[in-house]
Amino acid sequence: MKYDVVVVGSGPAGSISARFAAESGASVLIIERRQEVGVPVLCGEGISKRVDEFNVLEGKRWIANNMDGARIVSPDGTMVKLAADIAGDETGYVLYRDIFDQELARGAIRSGAELMLNTYAVNILKENDKIKGVKAKQFGEEFDIEADIVVGADGVESNIGRWAGMKTTLKPYDLETCAQYTLTNVEFDRTYCDFYLGKKIAPGGYVWVFPKGKDIANVGIGILASLSEPGMSLKLLDKFINSHPDLRNGDPLRFLAGAVPVGEPIESVRDNLLLVGDAARQVDPITGGGLMASIEAGKTAGETIGKAIDEQRFDKEMLVSYEEKLKNTLYKKLKRNYAVKEILLGMEDKTLNMLADSLKDYKFDDLSTLSLVKALVSKHPSLLIKLKPFIKLSRL
Amino acid sequence: MGKPKALVDKGKCLACGGCISVCPQDAIVMCSSKAIVSKENCIDCGICIQTCPVGAIDNEEY
Ligand SMILES: Cc1cc2nc3c(=O)[nH]c(=O)nc-3n(C[C@H](O)[C@H](O)[C@H](O)COP(=O)(O)OP(=O)(O)OC[C@H]3O[C@@H](n4cnc5c(N)ncnc54)[C@H](O)[C@@H]3O)c2cc1C
Ligand code: SF4
Ligand code: SF4
Repeated sequence: MKYDVVVVGSGPAGSISARFAAESGASVLIIERRQEVGVPVLCGEGISKRVDEFNVLEGKRWIANNMDGARIVSPDGTMVKLAADIAGDETGYVLYRDIFDQELARGAIRSGAELMLNTYAVNILKENDKIKGVKAKQFGEEFDIEADIVVGADGVESNIGRWAGMKTTLKPYDLETCAQYTLTNVEFDRTYCDFYLGKKIAPGGYVWVFPKGKDIANVGIGILASLSEPGMSLKLLDKFINSHPDLRNGDPLRFLAGAVPVGEPIESVRDNLLLVGDAARQVDPITGGGLMASIEAGKTAGETIGKAIDEQRFDKEMLVSYEEKLKNTLYKKLKRNYAVKEILLGMEDKTLNMLADSLKDYKFDDLSTLSLVKALVSKHPSLLIKLKPFIKLSRL
Repeated sequence: MGKPKALVDKGKCLACGGCISVCPQDAIVMCSSKAIVSKENCIDCGICIQTCPVGAIDNEEY
């Protein structure tokens, strides 16, 4: 079995990479260990409306709900409202992630890629230390898939990169460990994605409530693994739901466990190999949102692969233009947000409460640093010292 | 009795992959939607146990 490109994983990163590689004429095979693309759903299902700009989805079947914005709730319950366009990559639409992933995979197939389900990548295929493809397994039978380029789009586990000798293992400090219920029969009709902060609510993370429809919502939790204990995500999520009257009577339609990398992007290119999406740790470290990043990086990866196939050059020097392009765009933002994440992690609940109190009536039309700092400090002067690291960062 | 090793309760595991992403020994694989620890490689560092969101991993004496 020989292709120009073999893509491991049919998540957004894999499907988008495959689509753009196939569009530029490469022969592409996607292998996916699941028996159905996108199932089971492991996601809060929030995404920015910027996804429309990529033109990779047809129709509206993948949209469950339209959001007006986000509300950040501080430990003492103070609420700060943000309009959708400044609320980050997780606010805009609430998705049906299974349909979303299937539509993206369909886009890849329509562009000429092939998809093989029930197929595990079990190792990298090498010849004299050179990457030649992947070793795969389907229904107990092992076989080789040869390819000039291997794309590791295998999500948080990032085994393809590890097998190729890259350092993909995460520090617990850089992983959010998650649990989520999709609850129906909840008593609200909201158009805001809510984020609840606080060391007692979700250490090093947050609880999210993303409304999927009139009486249905994704209610989930992420905790920094380094601050977690066995089973803590689930315990704290149950506690949160039980202490919220509007959620308490909800009945779960779905339960999931999840893991989101919240480190900085890692080395993602070797001779004959690219990593994309969660596998390359391309996730917003503040929100844990990775869908937009996967799509953005996947497109760049696919286009770079197209060029490489054209020129029949598959070495690192050729493929590294993928990483270089992202350095000036996506990675800038992810790196800045990683620094912000570190500052936020060091903040006491008290500081978060003061921040929220200062911002609860702030009009976020004027997002200049100066006006923001003025608003913050006029109410709680002691915030000036706590915010120093942010102000430094904004000058970078 | 040998050293303790991590063991996944298959009934509880929901295949999120978190344990695999943090294991410093590359000792865990996903097989038919369940995480499985290879006893040979596990050094019982406990990182996966702490990470699992649903508490599906524990120490076992072998
Ligand atoms: C609980 C939770 C909530 C989240 N909420 C949001 C959110 O609201 N908004 C947002 O933007 N992001 C969210 N994220 C993050 C988002 O889900 C990921 O960033 C996104 O899925 C990354 O896409 P991907 O294609 O890189 O990886 P994935 O979507 O994980 O796809 C990887 C694919 O590779 C397959 N695979 C893995 N190993 C192999 C192998 N060896 N052989 C064959 N196939 C393999 C897997 O089966 C899977 O289909 C959330 C994550 C979690 C866990
Ligand atoms: S962290 Fe827990 S739920 Fe997730 S794959 Fe490992 S054992 Fe399963
Ligand atoms: S205890 Fe440590 S070495 Fe053993 S499987 Fe868990 S993370 Fe890996």
